[in-house]
Amino acid sequence: MIEITNLTKRFTGNRGGTVHALSEVDLTIADNEFVTVLGPSGCGKTTLLRALAGLTGWDEGDILVDGEPVRSPGPERAMVFQNFALLPWASVLDNVAFGLELRGEARGRRHATARELIGLVGLDGFEDRLPGELSGGMQQRVGLARALAVQPRVLLMDEPFGALDEQTRRILQQELLTIWERRRLTVVFITHSIEEAVLLGDRVVLMSPRPGRIAETVPVDIPRPRSFDLHGLGRTEEFTTLTTHLWERLRSMHPDTHPDTHPDRAGARR
Amino acid sequence: MTTAGPAPRSRPPGRIRRLLGTDLPYQMLTLLVVAALWEGYARTHESILLPTFTETAAATVTLLGEGELWRAAWLSNQALVLGFLIAVALGVPAGLLLGRFSAIERYTDVYLSILLVTPMAGIIPLLVMSVGFGLASRVILVALFSVVMAVTNARAGIRQIDASLIEMSRTFGASEAQIWRRVLIPGAMPAIMTGVRLALGRAVTGMVIVELLMVSVGYGGLILTYRSHFDAPALYAVVVIVLSEAVLLISAARWIERKMTPWATSHHSPRSTA
Repeated sequence: MIEITNLTKRFTGNRGGTVHALSEVDLTIADNEFVTVLGPSGCGKTTLLRALAGLTGWDEGDILVDGEPVRSPGPERAMVFQNFALLPWASVLDNVAFGLELRGEARGRRHATARELIGLVGLDGFEDRLPGELSGGMQQRVGLARALAVQPRVLLMDEPFGALDEQTRRILQQELLTIWERRRLTVVFITHSIEEAVLLGDRVVLMSPRPGRIAETVPVDIPRPRSFDLHGLGRTEEFTTLTTHLWERLRSMHPDTHPDTHPDRAGARR
Repeated sequence: MTTAGPAPRSRPPGRIRRLLGTDLPYQMLTLLVVAALWEGYARTHESILLPTFTETAAATVTLLGEGELWRAAWLSNQALVLGFLIAVALGVPAGLLLGRFSAIERYTDVYLSILLVTPMAGIIPLLVMSVGFGLASRVILVALFSVVMAVTNARAGIRQIDASLIEMSRTFGASEAQIWRRVLIPGAMPAIMTGVRLALGRAVTGMVIVELLMVSVGYGGLILTYRSHFDAPALYAVVVIVLSEAVLLISAARWIERKMTPWATSHHSPRSTA
């Protein structure tokens, strides 16, 4: 279980004023829950994830993972990065085994684990390739396999599919859900896509900017396993209601929103 | 490989095609053209100061057979090898540290720039006065010449590493030592090797300059001797030999660079090495 209480992070802005990156954020995430965090740029969603990962500090509040306060990165948490963050000089096999290598696991054992995960993410036969030889989707599969290889209880995903094209993103969303349903782990998934947030999450945490705080938490009562070609799930009433509601909320907090502004224009900005 | 179908039977054409894929034949052709132009010019403008290409070639062969050259090469290369190794051994770690801890930069940046632009010839008298005419001052000058390349390239190598790789390592619990070993050094390796190669080039320059201006021994000493004898072919032959050595050394450095960093696409490799 993840318990975030009263999390506040300030930093000094360019003109000397204090900016609240996060303000009094309270959030409890159950074991094996899939939580998506949605919000416009500058709402602090990435800061929240980096705090959870132990990569950045904060000014007030607490983060507990299974009762243990988070101070630094820990073995029970693993992160998947938007830009994949693969070692360009290392093979797929060595990239997937990297987390285990850092933990000092012997070569044979870590490679065995890595091969198993390479199979899980559908990259059999690509073990010896370098990241530069792979497509973006395949690179993120490597990133996912690397995170899963250390057997985390919590998977932290920072807009992992944001850099991918639409088709690849859909395929990876589906595969991520399949893996999550099989492995049962807690996922905190940052996104700025409303559809993605609803398709994947048990709950959508909507954040608003300046100061970064939780605006609303929306449960997604769409049964699992979800299969989401937009002609199935995408056309259900629950899906439409949820995405419409989230869009209204997001639009109202968007700086470009003005009574005269055409909604299409605001939408195009993301 | 994109070629489909069974491998061609006749081997020589394949070998020739592979050779044509490298830069060597084209470079040889350039050399041939330059040699022909040189020969033609020198024959039509007869001068004691300008030997023909064939005279130079003959003098080079003769010189290669003489102990005098090899003694000079031995002397020169002592300074070259020692100075270059010192420059790399000090310059690369210094550059890596500067790249990682930019706070140090404040103290050093201006001095690096000075080192980069100062005409080194100007500090030769200073060196001679403090260290004397021995091997030590030649080694120091070679090192001074080449160290800047090692430092600046290693520093740039660290700087251009994707910061998310370091964050990623930290999320997996990497220690600073592990980050150095597994991320920073491999990530900076292409730039480090480029720096080593450029440092080698500057070391050769430094070696010759110090011998021409300060201590007339080695290659530089030979050049000065032949100049005073108006023996132009031999003088040119020494230059040819120094150039050949430089080309060989730099090719070797480039080869090592490619072997060590096969993933890097930044270095100028021949087209057909894929």
